[in-house]
Formats: sequence, C-alpha cells, structure tokens
Amino acid sequence: MPGVMVFLCRCCGRIPPTVDLSALGEKIDREEGVVAVETRDTICLPEDRAAMLRSFEAGGADRILVAACSPYGKADDVVAKLSAACGGDRSRVRLVDIREGCAWIHRRDPVGATAKAGDLIGMNLGFLRHGKCSADAVVAVRPECMVVGAGSAGMAAALSIARAGHRVHLVERGAGMGGMLKLLSHVYPTDAGAEEKLKPSLQAISAQPLITLHAKTRVAAATGYAGDFKIRLASGTEETNLHVGAVILATGAGVWLPRGLYRYGELKGVLTLMELERRRKEGEETPRRSVFIQCVGARCPERPYCATFCCPSSIKNAALIKKEDPGAEVTILHRDIMTPGAILERYYRSALEAGVRFIRFAADAPPVVSGEGKVDSVAVFDTISGVKREIAADQVILSTPLVANADNTKLAELFHIGIDRYGFFREDYPLHPLETRQAGVFICGSARWPVASGDAAAQGEGAAMKALAILGRERLSARSLSRLPEGKLGHARIEDAFCSGCGNCVAVCPYEACALQKVGGIFVSRVNKMRCRACGSCTSVCPNGTIQMPEHNARAVGAMIRRAFSLREAR
Amino acid sequence: MNAPERNDKKPSPRVLVFACRWCALVGADAAGRKKTELPASFRVIPVECASMVEPDSVLRALASGADGVAVMGCHLGGCRFNDANHVAVKRMEALGDLLDTVGIGRRRLLLSFGTAHEGHEFAEILGNFLQELGPLPELTPWRKTLLNLPAFR
Repeated sequence: MPGVMVFLCRCCGRIPPTVDLSALGEKIDREEGVVAVETRDTICLPEDRAAMLRSFEAGGADRILVAACSPYGKADDVVAKLSAACGGDRSRVRLVDIREGCAWIHRRDPVGATAKAGDLIGMNLGFLRHGKCSADAVVAVRPECMVVGAGSAGMAAALSIARAGHRVHLVERGAGMGGMLKLLSHVYPTDAGAEEKLKPSLQAISAQPLITLHAKTRVAAATGYAGDFKIRLASGTEETNLHVGAVILATGAGVWLPRGLYRYGELKGVLTLMELERRRKEGEETPRRSVFIQCVGARCPERPYCATFCCPSSIKNAALIKKEDPGAEVTILHRDIMTPGAILERYYRSALEAGVRFIRFAADAPPVVSGEGKVDSVAVFDTISGVKREIAADQVILSTPLVANADNTKLAELFHIGIDRYGFFREDYPLHPLETRQAGVFICGSARWPVASGDAAAQGEGAAMKALAILGRERLSARSLSRLPEGKLGHARIEDAFCSGCGNCVAVCPYEACALQKVGGIFVSRVNKMRCRACGSCTSVCPNGTIQMPEHNARAVGAMIRRAFSLREAR
Repeated sequence: MNAPERNDKKPSPRVLVFACRWCALVGADAAGRKKTELPASFRVIPVECASMVEPDSVLRALASGADGVAVMGCHLGGCRFNDANHVAVKRMEALGDLLDTVGIGRRRLLLSFGTAHEGHEFAEILGNFLQELGPLPELTPWRKTLLNLPAFR
C-alpha cells in the first residue's frame, strides 16, 4: 500500500531550534504509513519544490504531507502546486502549520514545541489516511435570463443582458415599464424631466428583439439552481413556463403613507413627497408657501433606516419651486440633511443659495402642524438657534421613506433567499452586494435597499454582469460557484443505504440544499450540489453519520482527535 | 500571556481548539506571527465553519485526552455561510447542558464567536481558558469509561 511522503521545512532556520527537526524527523519516520521524511530549507522556493517533486516521484508514495508555515503564508500555494503532482487531488496533500502555530508561539518551551509538532504531523497523517475528494457536478447552462420588475434597475439589467446577446424575459406585475420613474416629475441631481430620462430606455427595450416583456404577470413558482431554473409565470388565468439560467430580482419598493402623523389625511394641504411629485407632473400650481418635513416615519424605532433619496428629492422640489417663483417661501425642516457625495453636496449648496430655508429640529421635538380644515402654519423648535418658530404654510410636504414590497416575502420563499427584518432582500455576506445566498439569483435596485433611479440602474447593470458570468458559459460546475476565495471543500455526500430520512440536514442547511425525496417508498435526503456551499452544518447533525463532507469526513477528523495528545495511536 | 512554567509540577491543561478558518484561525495565525508566548499544550484543528464541529467530536476529544475543548467561529451575523454559526451556537449550548448533566461541566467547553479574530484576543481567550482548566480535576475515570464504549474503541 503506497504511503505518505513527509517534507519538513526549516524555513531558513526560523523553525529550529525551537522545534528539533532531526528528532522530529526520526519520530515521524517510525509512524505508520510514512514512506520517507525529508527536511528542506525553503519549500516556497521553486528549486526546493522541484527537488520535492523529484523525491516524491522517486519515493513511491501517493500522498504528501508538508510541515511548514500557516495556510495564510506561502505554503498554501506550495500545496496547490504539489497537488498537481497527485493528479490535482487536494485531499492527497496536507499542510501542517509548525511555524506560526507551533515554533513561534512556544519559543520558550522547545521540548513541548517539538512534541506538539510531532502530534500535529501525526494528526494530519491520520487525516490523510481518510481524506477524500468529492466529485464536481456540472450542469448545462440555459442561456436565458429572467428579470423581475421593469423599473430603473430591471430595465438596465435587461438591456445589458440583451446587448450581450442573451434572451431576457422581463416580468412586470404592472401594466408597463418604468417603475417609480413614471410617478415622478423630475429627477435629481440633473433636474431633468423623469419622462425624458425614461424615454431612451423604453425605446431601446422595445427595439430590442431579445427582450420579451411579460406585463401584468407574477412569478407563481420556481425550482432549480444556478444555470437551470424552471419558472412558472401567472398572468390572470394564463400560465407561461420559462427555463432560464439566471434570475435578477429588481422588484423595487413601495411608498409608505404617514397615516396619523402631522395630521396627514385630516388637513387639506398636508401631502407626501410622492403626491407633490404627481401634482407637479400633472402641472398643478404649487402654492406660495411650502414647508417640507423630513424623516417622517424614517429613522424611527420601526424603520431605523435612512431611505437616502428623500433629502435630495425634497431639495430638488424646493429649489425648483423657488426657481419657478422667486417670491415663494420654501422651508425644509430636517433632522440631518443627508446628501452624500460631491454632486449631492453641491446640489444642497445650490438650494441654499437659491434661498431655500433649512431649519433643523430634534427627533424628540417634532414640528407641529396646525390649521382648521386646511393647513395654516407649522411650529418648530429650531435646535441651532434655540428659538421656537412659527412658519406660515399653504402646504406641508411629508418626506416618507420607501418600504419593502409585500411581494418580497413570497419571492424570497420561491427562490430560497433571505430578507432582512424590514422585508428587503438580503445580500450575501460579505462583500457580495448584488448576490444572494442562492447562486444564480441576483438582486438590485430598491428591492435590496432604497436607492435613487440612477443608482438603481447602476446596480441593475452590475447584477447583469454577475448574471452574464453564468449565462456566458456553456457548462457550469458546482465548485466554480463558491464565492469564498480558495474554497477547498466540495459538497456534502449522502450514503443512501444509511439515511433514515430524519430531515435534520434539511432543517439546518443554510442554503436549502438538502431535501427529502421518496426513493423506493422511503424518504432519504438528497443534496443539491449546485446549492451546497460546503459549510458542513449537515454533517454535524446527522444522527448516523450518513451525510459527510468527503474532504472533512468524520473518520479523518476522528483520526485527528484521537492522535491530538499522543495518548492513543491513530487508526 | 502566561508563559509556561517549566518547573510547574502539574502540566498545563490540554486543549483541543476547533477554529473556523475565517475567524479564529486567522487569530491563531496572527498570534503566531506576533510570536505571542503560549503554553504548548493546545492543538488546533482548522474547520471550514464552526457549524461543522459535531458534538460527538467534542466528546471524543475529551475522551482522547483533552482537558478542555474550544469551539471558535465568526461573530453572529458574520458567518461566511449565511446563518450556519447561529445553529452552531445553539447546538454547542445544548452540548454544554449535556456536559453539566453528566458531571463533566460546561466549563470544559469554551465557545467563542467572533471574539478571537485578533492575535491578542486569541491568546487572551486561550490563556484564560487554560487558567480556568488548571485547577479542575483530571477527567480520567470518566474518560476510561467512555473510551471503553464500543463507539470509541
């Protein structure tokens, strides 16, 4: 039976003298299954690596153990290169950290450090005996994409994908495209008309033969995984089946109505920002004296978030009112003005110069709107000057935040993705802002967090690029879906013969990769390899060890544990 | 940290550490790079996620000579695998109850989620754990019983 070739690295003398490598080598040489032990100076240098490969090939061993620095050092790269000599099977090469994890932290205890190095190598020899490699799964990619929601984000995503030459199904629950832009009169920071801004996208989409619009349609059912989703759309009683490789959710967000706040719905002239947009779009005359109140229903205990668009949006309307009628009195009552970035900050300054009045109030002393039948004035305590002010007003505009669509919950269930506590889609942690926990399902626009139309479009294009990374391939391998750098594990595997169908793995899997299926009359668990991300949660709850990560199986870990304190021999 | 006293009569307690390679293993590595002094009586098993650690493995480690076991993962809400470590915490707390019930005591099981990401944090947590384990009695009688169970033979 072939055995293990052990290489010890001196690390140019930084591992000895704390760890006595010659004594260690002799001890390791006596271990079961070790073919030979070789001590080298610097395994990270190409010359040494070439020499290691030569002695590995001459030695007749089939596995390699390298005792050197930590996996975060250079040794990991060495292991990757050595595994090529073992037919690319990483389970046959094992790296043991005897530098950071041993020699460097036990410098005052050379005896203990040498014993520990011996144990660590012994543990990993045991691991090598049982370590396996899981086979990769490969699926044929369906080169079509579904985009849900035809607002700024969805349209940008659909256009990007269609321009790259892939068919796009644009699903919209409303009658037509445009999303929230259809409700606005102007967009900040350019002050361009919303319709003008929308027109080029609408024209491009209708001229694009690869985009099919499914209007007044909802997603009814979805199954599958990255590269191969099967979707059922419902439009009234009519049903359509789609077969797509990637899904982009751009469902946007809903407006929140401030019922019961600032006498909204009770006094004439108290309206929301969206109502003001509609009135201005329809060309209704704006009264002379306007007061905007910011953070209505936002940055409060129920919705502690800032919706980001309302400050620039109020500033836009205030400045435009002032521009149309320089005699107008426009006041913005705010808690903090949120205008991040160079452009929006300039936008805020220009509104100040145009004569818009900004008054800051405290969250615990909100303004009071008064009037009878019709709004009359707003009383506010100005925290900057410490004066109570009474502002005469013909209309009061309440800036309310966007809230998550009620549909999100259903879509999240259908696609097995997460939603946060406010109902917005949850991005994949960390640093994958447009991806979700399901590979092949992407999010963009206000469905993931309230954003302005320009940012939504940018996110839509980003999500499209992510989707194209899947759609552009003919075949997709499960391992390539790992979002973690140097992800080493494959995916969980089930031995049918022992699975009792208890469903523990189904309950614990964070990616809903495990599911119970009836095979021959009994339930057994099945792992969807395209969804499995190899966290190993299932392996630790399986009552009979049926489900295992081949790269980190219970036998291998058990061998490590038994050998950890040299009390018992590894088996 | 507490340097090993070589004249100490009682050897330093043996600790097996299961370290998530996204958090605690980074801490362990940083402790190494800073050359922090630690007793040579602990061994680290790197795992992909703390949720991968079977309760069985903890018992097995105690049966195989460890005086204590540490399970270290990412902070809650910061797991690389969605919510996997939330489940791991619950599972390990339940194991703590079990250890209390059978008389081993949950003091021998150290849970750290997101508290050992830095080198000095790892060294401090481990140092404190070793100190806490120091006065505890040997596990021998119990260990012998367990080792003779068919599952562990």
